[in-house]
Amino acid sequence: MRSGRAPRAERPSKPPSPRDRLAVLLAIVTAICLGAAFLFSSGKQFLAPGPLASAHGAIENCGACHTKSGSGSFSWVQGLVPGDPLADSKACLTCHKMPKTAFNPHGALPDVLKQSTKRLAKVAAVTPAPQSARAQSIAFPTDAAVAGGLNCATCHQEHKGANFNLSKISNEQCRSCHVVKFDSFDGDHPRFDNYPFKSRTQIVYDHAGHFGKHFPDVAQKDKEKRIPATCSTCHTSRADKRIMAVAPFEQTCTDCHLDQIVGKERATGPKGIAFLTLPGLDVRTLKEKNAAIGEWPEGSEAELTPFMKVMISRSEKGRAIIKTVSGVNLQDLGNATEEQLKAVTGLVWEIKGLFYALISGKASDVLGDLNIGGGAKLSPSLVADLTASLPRDVVISAHQEWLPNLATEMASGQAASDQDQGGWAAAITESRLAASVSPEELFGAGSPQASPRSAPQTGGGDAASSAKPVQLAQANQLVQSKSTPGTVAEKSLRIDPYGRVAKTPEEGIETAQAAPPVSAAREPASADIQPQAKAADQTDDLLSPDGGTAEAPARGPENEPVAAQPQPRAAARPEAPAGGGRQVAAADPPPQGKPGDQNDDLLNPDGGAADSTGGASDGPVGGASPEVSAAPADAAPAGAEPQGRAAPGIVSIQSDVDAESWAEYGGWYHQDFGIFYRPTGHKDKFIYSWLFLTGPQAPKGNKGPAAAVFDSLIDKDAQGSCTKCHSVDDIRGKGRLVNFSPPKVDTKQGRFTNFIHEPHFGILENRGCLTCHNLEKGRPYLKSYEQGNPLSFVSNFGAVKKELCQTCHTSTMARQDCLTCHKYHVNGVVTPIMNTRIPTP
Amino acid sequence: MGLARFVNGQTIQGVLIAAISGGLFWLVWIYGNGLRDPRFLDGWLLASGMTVQLYFHIAIKTSRLAPKAAMRWRKIHIFLGYLLVAAFVSHSDFSLPDSGFEWALWLGFVLVTLSGIFGTYLAWGLKAKSGIEEGTGFDRIPARRAELARDVHAAVTKADPAAAAFALPAAPHDAWVMDLYANHLRDFFEGQRNFAAHLIGSRRHIKRLTVEIDNLSRYVDKPSQEKLAIVRELVIEKDRLDFARVYLGLTKAWLFVHVPVTYGLFVLMVLHVIVAYAFSSGAW
Repeated sequence: MRSGRAPRAERPSKPPSPRDRLAVLLAIVTAICLGAAFLFSSGKQFLAPGPLASAHGAIENCGACHTKSGSGSFSWVQGLVPGDPLADSKACLTCHKMPKTAFNPHGALPDVLKQSTKRLAKVAAVTPAPQSARAQSIAFPTDAAVAGGLNCATCHQEHKGANFNLSKISNEQCRSCHVVKFDSFDGDHPRFDNYPFKSRTQIVYDHAGHFGKHFPDVAQKDKEKRIPATCSTCHTSRADKRIMAVAPFEQTCTDCHLDQIVGKERATGPKGIAFLTLPGLDVRTLKEKNAAIGEWPEGSEAELTPFMKVMISRSEKGRAIIKTVSGVNLQDLGNATEEQLKAVTGLVWEIKGLFYALISGKASDVLGDLNIGGGAKLSPSLVADLTASLPRDVVISAHQEWLPNLATEMASGQAASDQDQGGWAAAITESRLAASVSPEELFGAGSPQASPRSAPQTGGGDAASSAKPVQLAQANQLVQSKSTPGTVAEKSLRIDPYGRVAKTPEEGIETAQAAPPVSAAREPASADIQPQAKAADQTDDLLSPDGGTAEAPARGPENEPVAAQPQPRAAARPEAPAGGGRQVAAADPPPQGKPGDQNDDLLNPDGGAADSTGGASDGPVGGASPEVSAAPADAAPAGAEPQGRAAPGIVSIQSDVDAESWAEYGGWYHQDFGIFYRPTGHKDKFIYSWLFLTGPQAPKGNKGPAAAVFDSLIDKDAQGSCTKCHSVDDIRGKGRLVNFSPPKVDTKQGRFTNFIHEPHFGILENRGCLTCHNLEKGRPYLKSYEQGNPLSFVSNFGAVKKELCQTCHTSTMARQDCLTCHKYHVNGVVTPIMNTRIPTP
Repeated sequence: MGLARFVNGQTIQGVLIAAISGGLFWLVWIYGNGLRDPRFLDGWLLASGMTVQLYFHIAIKTSRLAPKAAMRWRKIHIFLGYLLVAAFVSHSDFSLPDSGFEWALWLGFVLVTLSGIFGTYLAWGLKAKSGIEEGTGFDRIPARRAELARDVHAAVTKADPAAAAFALPAAPHDAWVMDLYANHLRDFFEGQRNFAAHLIGSRRHIKRLTVEIDNLSRYVDKPSQEKLAIVRELVIEKDRLDFARVYLGLTKAWLFVHVPVTYGLFVLMVLHVIVAYAFSSGAW
């Protein structure tokens, strides 16, 4: 037995002393008092270790933050049960919205942290760590705490009083996780690494070039132009203290650069962006190869625009066509393979279908479904910007000039067997279809297309002469079916983009019953095409798409088979090798004769006004057509132009201003074989929307249609010159992005350094901004923008040195704690507005 | 030599307590820097220390410790008590509590600590300044004090037979002694006196009384001087008894605070630990 312990046998048993009895009594009383407090208190506030910070002072329910607390008197005991260690922190996110990475260190992505750690490990190797930091990292390493996700309460300790600063965090706490452990900023804080130029500026602005060359040159040439005198002429930090924002374009750049945007200063090439063209084709070869392209002008040298490629590529078939013809010289098809010729033929009909759809339908329908961006439906505002209010009249005038018989071709079943379903095919309701397919409805009874003159135009000879009636008969049949709801035809008829009737096999028989036989349809149809046969009040269905064409034209016998379709298909080809073809050429010069003296179709939309007055124009549409001139006024469509044309004594206005110049300040115009858009100025929505839409689909080197549009708009010589100033970033896996948005705080999210200019303005020396931003000549600034990586950047200015900051930020002068310049929640924390229901009676 | 050794021992203990407390603060500081809630570290240190202290009390009460071991453990108890003060200060973050429950904890700990410190003072301080005779029992002190009162009264009132033999009138020495008794000694011997002075170990009161007696001795004759010498001895004896009464009384009394409050504090402490974990948001 050790001496320290008395033998049990020797221990006298003492009766409890009054002191011991009092002690036990006090313990019991304490326990009873506490139990009573739990039972009779209204809440659990008496357990709170202290008042909440003032920001949280209104919270009375413990369970709002302590998720397992519950509302019962003893329900808080549930908090002892292990559960989600981040549960309470997630409750914080109810009010403080943060990204999913909220519980990662700094709320940053793991990859970002990993890269940062890897980079800083090299710095840590040469930075002496303080003893306390070493001891802490050995005794209490933070790896495990960080790995499981950082609780909000790790740094934000509550219940420390109303005036407690919840966001206070010590330098040592910051240091505990970081690989570089140093004592203070003016001590061993690492030197700055090319600060602040981690990434290039969004606006390409060569300060050195402007200061050294452009400003002096402009000042010498034009003293009226405003030349910035100070940095603050262009830069301000008033709107957002974190950012030295650039003043608006209109205040800074417009004097010198607006003309570049609208194309005024463009010496060569079109000043507008070619949006729709009728590309030049080797029509001769196509004819020789018997390619069924229908009507196509031979004089076009235009190229297929990237916009059209996008529009055509909206379907699988269209994409295949674009892919096949992409390597083909469309104007020299002598060496083209059969497959390529077939694709070119398909392309022709796709283009015709596109024009047809743009006229017969809504531009928004055509441009709103481009199958870009994963096929997502485009927003109305985006569609509005994409179309830039493209006037239908511009398209109509172009079509009348280039493809005057488009309606006829599209209405015929000619294309049906040559073209598979697809492209600009759309199921159209029958009423819409009927309105769409009728050339009379499209151009009015008095229009050239509907006039008798048109009949020979679309085909001469027996076969050709029969084509038009057949087409119109079909069209009329469709019109007729519109007025007979509930028929089989109504249910089954669909029209493809080219205006042809499509039938499902099982519907064929029934449709055949409804459709007039071709042979039988000829004669009634031929009668039907007479302008006189149309109602006098026939209106242009472009203006009145469903206008009154329901008068049933002559119908063929209902039991005639439809098997005659191949015949009209051949006959409908305008350049079908029938004798009548020459007659057409003689009577109505082909479109190719037009471009040379093309007029502005905005001024002269139908291209025929001059002709109607005996002008020199020999355009195909107006074509000085005696038939048109002679057409009775009451047979003319409701459109103003035909009426005007028919009205005697009206003289068209001649203008020396070409279409391009007419649209000097932007807008649409039609010239040669293209429909162009001229930028309206800075922030042109048309260009912006197309860049916005196609950018994500246009990774560098991509040959797709979207990338073609993007590339065409960011080209060095592109109209609008957007990318002359707005940089283009390669976004990994997400195509490219033109930096239009001005820098905002949001764009600075993810950055660890938080510099505010304003407090520093008062301490600048005589050199002003140059105190910190030293302009260094000869730096390859512009070269940074020749590639797409925004992080590869050489600024005009020298980097800011740590020593410069250290002149003030020392232990005895300005603050130097970590949070002075760095922020923890790099992605920010937002307190959203609460969901408040609108009060209802 | 003994005093020097005692002072050295006290100093070493004081330095040790200060050093360990400083180390504790530093440990808690780097614990907090390591992204942990430091209140859990110093809280558990505090709770563990308090449990050890309570175990000492239980061991004493159950007589598990031999007297020698108990003496050693008492030193550890006192030493640990001082360290727990540092842990408590750290745990309360050098600030006063905010809520009722925390005030209860705070007051409980403070009472236990203060009573403990007072007990330590009694054990180390007072006893060192004024020795208490072995065998002096707290309960016997009043009887002994009464005996002394009677003795002093008897001594003072005893007449000097030689005084009557003088032909010439002599100085009234007995009257002076009686005045001394009546003005200073009677009240002194009637009961417990100078509690506060004994509490702080002051001897000023006894010094003042003995100086009074000594001053009178210079002006009285030999017999009166002998009488005053006896009275002086009795006064000193009475003062010792007063000190013993205070010391022994406080030695019993402080434990009436220290022990019961410790029991109550323990109940609060257990609840505090449960509440702390139930409402913790995972930051320990």
